[in-house]
Amino acid sequence: MEHQFPPQLFPSFYNSGPPESVLRHCAGDWGCYDRVRAECGSARASNWTFTPRHQVRGETWRHTEPLPVPLLRPRKTFLWPSKPPDPLDFREHMQNFFMDHSQDAFGYMGEILSENFNFKEGTRERNQKNSVNMGKMKNVLDMLEFQMCHKSNWSSKLNGFGALLSDVVHSVPPELLGSLLYEELTEQRERMLFFEGATGGALAFIPFSEGGSSQHGCLLYPGNKGLNRLNFHNVELQHCRGRSSVLTTGGSDPIRFHLKGPIRQISSASLFNNCCVAVRSDHLCGVWRFGEGNDPRLLQVVNTAEVATCVSASPHVLGEVLVASESGAANLWTVGKGMQKVREEDSNLYFNAKSSWRWCEFSAHPRVMLYADRTGVELTDIRSSPVSCHTLFHISNTSECRSGERLILSRYLGDVHSFHHLITTQYSAYVMDERFPCVPMLKWDHMMESPPLFCHVLPGSASSGSVVGGDRTTKVVLGSYSSQEITMLQYSGGRVEACFSRGPPLALHRPRESLRHLPVQIPHRLDTATNRLSSPAAGLTCVQKKGGEECLCVVQLTEAGDIFYQILEPDHPDADTSRPPAAETLPGRKDAETPERKPAEHLAQDSQLVVTDTTSDEDVIGPTQVVPRYVAETPEREQTSDSEDSETEAKSRWRKRLELQVIVNDDPEPDHVAELDRGETDGAEAGKEPGGAEETLRSSSSSGRVVPPEQATDVKPSKDVLVTWKHWLQRLRKKSRGKRPRLHFTTRTDGLLQLPGGDARVSSEDERVQSLRRDLRACMSNRSLLLHSAVSASLRAPDSVPLPDVVDTGAWTDELSQRLTLSWQSEDAWRAWWEDKLGLNKEEKVKALRRKRRREKEAKRASGQRRELSGSFTSSVSYQDLGGYSDSAGWSSAASQGGWSDSEGLMPLSVRGTPGATTPSTVTCETPVPTPTTTPVKGKQGDQQTPSTSCTQRPEATSANRRSSKRPAEDDLFTPQVRNFNFLGEEGGVRSPRRTPRVDLSRDDFVWSGFSQSLSQGSQGRPGLSQSSQASQKKKKSRMGF
Amino acid sequence: MMDDLEGELGLVEDLEDDNDSSDNTSSRGGKKSRFPPVNLMCVETSKETGFHQSTRFCLEHIREAMLHHRWQEAAEYMACYPQMFEDTTVSSTKHYKEVIWRLSTEILHHHHNTKMEDYNHIYERIKHSGVKHYLMISLEHSFHLLLHGHIEDAKRHLLAAESWRYGKESAAQYQKMKLIQAYRSLLDYIIWCDKKFTLSDFNDPVGNQEMQNYYRQASVNLKEILKNPGVWDPFILSYVEMLEFYEDHSEALNVLNDYAYDNNFPPNPNAHVFLYQYLKRHDAPEKKLIKVLKVLHVSVPSHELMLEYSSLLLQSEKNSHIHKAVEVVLEMLDFACWRSDLDVWKCLKAVIQKLQLQEDWRKVVLEKMEVRKDWWPVLHFTSHHARKDSEENPELMEVKASLKEVLCPDITLKYAAAGVNS
Repeated sequence: MEHQFPPQLFPSFYNSGPPESVLRHCAGDWGCYDRVRAECGSARASNWTFTPRHQVRGETWRHTEPLPVPLLRPRKTFLWPSKPPDPLDFREHMQNFFMDHSQDAFGYMGEILSENFNFKEGTRERNQKNSVNMGKMKNVLDMLEFQMCHKSNWSSKLNGFGALLSDVVHSVPPELLGSLLYEELTEQRERMLFFEGATGGALAFIPFSEGGSSQHGCLLYPGNKGLNRLNFHNVELQHCRGRSSVLTTGGSDPIRFHLKGPIRQISSASLFNNCCVAVRSDHLCGVWRFGEGNDPRLLQVVNTAEVATCVSASPHVLGEVLVASESGAANLWTVGKGMQKVREEDSNLYFNAKSSWRWCEFSAHPRVMLYADRTGVELTDIRSSPVSCHTLFHISNTSECRSGERLILSRYLGDVHSFHHLITTQYSAYVMDERFPCVPMLKWDHMMESPPLFCHVLPGSASSGSVVGGDRTTKVVLGSYSSQEITMLQYSGGRVEACFSRGPPLALHRPRESLRHLPVQIPHRLDTATNRLSSPAAGLTCVQKKGGEECLCVVQLTEAGDIFYQILEPDHPDADTSRPPAAETLPGRKDAETPERKPAEHLAQDSQLVVTDTTSDEDVIGPTQVVPRYVAETPEREQTSDSEDSETEAKSRWRKRLELQVIVNDDPEPDHVAELDRGETDGAEAGKEPGGAEETLRSSSSSGRVVPPEQATDVKPSKDVLVTWKHWLQRLRKKSRGKRPRLHFTTRTDGLLQLPGGDARVSSEDERVQSLRRDLRACMSNRSLLLHSAVSASLRAPDSVPLPDVVDTGAWTDELSQRLTLSWQSEDAWRAWWEDKLGLNKEEKVKALRRKRRREKEAKRASGQRRELSGSFTSSVSYQDLGGYSDSAGWSSAASQGGWSDSEGLMPLSVRGTPGATTPSTVTCETPVPTPTTTPVKGKQGDQQTPSTSCTQRPEATSANRRSSKRPAEDDLFTPQVRNFNFLGEEGGVRSPRRTPRVDLSRDDFVWSGFSQSLSQGSQGRPGLSQSSQASQKKKKSRMGF
Repeated sequence: MMDDLEGELGLVEDLEDDNDSSDNTSSRGGKKSRFPPVNLMCVETSKETGFHQSTRFCLEHIREAMLHHRWQEAAEYMACYPQMFEDTTVSSTKHYKEVIWRLSTEILHHHHNTKMEDYNHIYERIKHSGVKHYLMISLEHSFHLLLHGHIEDAKRHLLAAESWRYGKESAAQYQKMKLIQAYRSLLDYIIWCDKKFTLSDFNDPVGNQEMQNYYRQASVNLKEILKNPGVWDPFILSYVEMLEFYEDHSEALNVLNDYAYDNNFPPNPNAHVFLYQYLKRHDAPEKKLIKVLKVLHVSVPSHELMLEYSSLLLQSEKNSHIHKAVEVVLEMLDFACWRSDLDVWKCLKAVIQKLQLQEDWRKVVLEKMEVRKDWWPVLHFTSHHARKDSEENPELMEVKASLKEVLCPDITLKYAAAGVNS
């Protein structure tokens, strides 16, 4: 039946021409049947059945776990940055530049300077005094061959050269640097979004014979930091309904091959249990031979001049491999016999897509191959000498392509249907039949965010009669690069009936989303884990178990070298009918939440396993919040205590205490933590209660099977998975800790610029500093101030360099001296002097004078009104006090008014009853005042300093207040000195000494009495300070002292 | 605002496509090709308001839930989504209507308690909410009715859509209209078939007249759509069946010939098969049959009719035809699907036996095998093949073993030896 062509296809128009339609929405082809085909039932004529091209339902496959599970422990890896490069990170770009284009960077200058450097050992006498001997430099550079941090091999000589040459050597032509930098940044950015080199994927699974409840096979994946080690690893998919399915390596070690470059693609083909594995890295392709009983053996490796873009092993003849490269050539490589160029294209096939990516695949005929680029696919018959080609697919209106659509991947579906090819674009996936080129047999919108680069196709096992509803669907699993998406599409047909899709696309789990199902991590560990988990995908494969209980394991490789798998089980309707889903789920989930109530039963083996796991790793820190909090804060300590047995006890006590803490802290997912905690304590209690494991089993079985898809979100990861993840994250943390950058390395430059014989000077300076420190310490112990007199003679002597006398410019009266003096001040002053001198600014002066007069008049006029205003203003205060004060001051009433309203600004505004302003003023002043009171006389300077600081503080604190009340003050006080104050603005301190201190003090009393009793003794000084003058300060102090 | 962005993208693309074929020099200049963004509706735009943002998030959530087949969740979000119709700033809500239709239909497909009324409601509402997608949704609606067995309702909907007129038609609308007409005719044909089956007496004038009516209704549109290039397998089959019933053989042959040989049509192998079957049904001369199969052989050398082709060639007794038959069968065996097919190997044996009657048979075989000599042995005659064949199909093993000497005389093959050993 393999050879049959569907006798009736779905109707469709054949529109030639380039595609016009543009993607308008994001709903893909949800909800539409597309076309319907009618079939006449054989029995009765009226028995017509209709088949839509997009059938509503496919097989239902369910995840056994809500998140993918890591297969291997995390290894050290090189992570590509998860964000596009920052164009402003100049240092990094320059580093890349110097590494990649050293010739450009250093070449010119090297040539120019070459005369002056002598690179020959011991030929000094020959050339000269002017040349620098580079022997030492060479030694240093040789030392730098180490893999360690370059800078750690510190050399004063090297740094000296660096300092000397830095400004000349780094002069790279900016045009060159700019273009290179641009190129680099674009490439990095595009590589992040879409890396076409990864097309095909570097992960493959070769199934071996099938066991009862397990599927053995060999997983091929790249390992090592640079993904340059090819691993052949035996794995086993264990699956049994009702138990957790798992993909294990069985503790075996992989067989490894080291390659010279990162592995980009692995293509394999099997015939009669012999397997041919073709591996592509950028410039190398290799072929291994491999079988179930035989160890892998490298057959041949070829170099490609251009970057290889595709390698494809023949499913017909083992040892035939197609290799395509960016040169546009496709070669048929018969291993052991050599290459045969089968096709070469300079340009793209159907239009210029500006892409040199090429792809080739085999087809149903061993001598007809597919040649693909971004614009389409051609079938190329390589038997005839000028190869005959015809189109299989091209981006056109026929296949209802969208404008801008490009071919991403083509895959021969030999296992499914010998004439079918899968072609994916960034929007759609097409199934093409090579017997009917140009018209797709089936088309889906795969609805992935980024273009699918990887695919694996699982043939529908028509043989398995477990399902009554006819043959099983063929599953197409597509994987994308940057977004790690995996999408499963299903279809049927292609032989007796035309192809039709089954059900809408199903998105599978992504590793980057797994953290949300795990207990919460502390932030910096979350960062590490998130970064690691969101590295782009690098490959995809599936393990299918057909016999017995069917299941499907989707394995995904990320660029960090991690492998994650997720297992899907078919959702049998008959299984559901025996046990109604709703009834089953709810208790199942209740179990997970309240496991304690479950009686302990059976399965001691499994529980033992879990328990040993948890105990053995107890000293390592899990993904729970329990210990991380503690460890994160003291990482070093944890590290050291790891080795010391004596501390472990204390540590476990610690942890016990912390566990309590955790439950309090843990808001988001208390269930998990509680479970895990319980598991751990169980473990600590020597596993006398196997309830934990039993519960695991239940939760996994309930989550895997019975939960209807609507509730799939609620599925909790089973305990085994949580433990696996916990260990994985622990190891990841350990690895990443080792990778943490070393301490910041500083280059010492102090000796580089020293003068000859400077050592003596340095030592004497040191001595002086030491003695100064001694003095300071002595002063501090005496609680006295470090004064000039206290400083020991050693320091004073060199300090007493006589300063030249202050120049008294006033002494010079001649014009020239004046002019010169002014010219020192500024150019403006100098110019003003000249203008003054020449009388150029006479008119302006006159104008200014007039303005001033006018202002004064206005001010006088306004002050009349203001007086009333300010009177009403102050009426809220007890006027008797004020009156007494103003009387005693002996000022005129007008002046007293002015003085009041002026000082209002200076005074704490508590007087005016604005409490908001009061608080800060008391706070700022309280502290400095006690100092003079406690240490009254000792050190006059110190005494002066403290109030002076408060002096500066005070006006600032009140300036805002004053500003609000400035207008009345200004208008009121037109006496010259007050005006002066207004001009000076903040410098309130200047003004107050002109008043009699007594005024201030009386004001003090007034404020105090009128304000509050709660003020402390210290705050009594506050109003005095608020007057902010040294004079008043002195006066007041004497009062306070009394 | 979305339109602008898309328009721009589309424009850029078109320009690229236009000058593509002309300049090949720059094809290797830029190495990387960029792809336009996939989800335009889920992309944040600069002029977005809070309302837009919340509807966009809602749409994203629906999408996410649907992609993970969480239908209940999607349905809950979907209940809120139509509020985006209140948006007054978007110039055309056409795409949103289509999105709503698609999302809600798909959710209905998978929701456990969906009723037919829900579907009808959605289809009718969206159908009448805009003119642009009236035809598409009408067609989909009738498909839905068909799939649920409501043939009469479906036909009614198609008839209504057929008579729908709105201003100027775009190319896509024209094609949709043609499809609607064709599907309506297909339903006429189905009723015609039922009538034919139930009508016991063909001399009954009333029943005959009724059938005639259905035939006429169906044939007009079916004939019409066959003029457009495309894949029309179901339509042409029903049309030809009716023509045959009314014995309009010339028209039938004409239609089939056009379908098979018109260069505007895609190279549909079924077109040749239909023609061949028709000719065979009407006892056409062998020569004609061979001619049809010859054309088919060029496009699909692996087709199962090639067995008939080779036997036809053998019957003709011409030397060249026998050579051709060898070629045809050998070529069939190149393909993966025929490699272990006993019939083909038997056929090859028969052809070779016939060929061996000729003098220069060795030369002919050698000539045919020349291009295959370096891969045929690996493809058919390894020890692995021998083991497999002897286990699964000993008869095949026998036939193959007898032929290997003839086909590959110079090469020592492990086929039989290994087979015996194992």
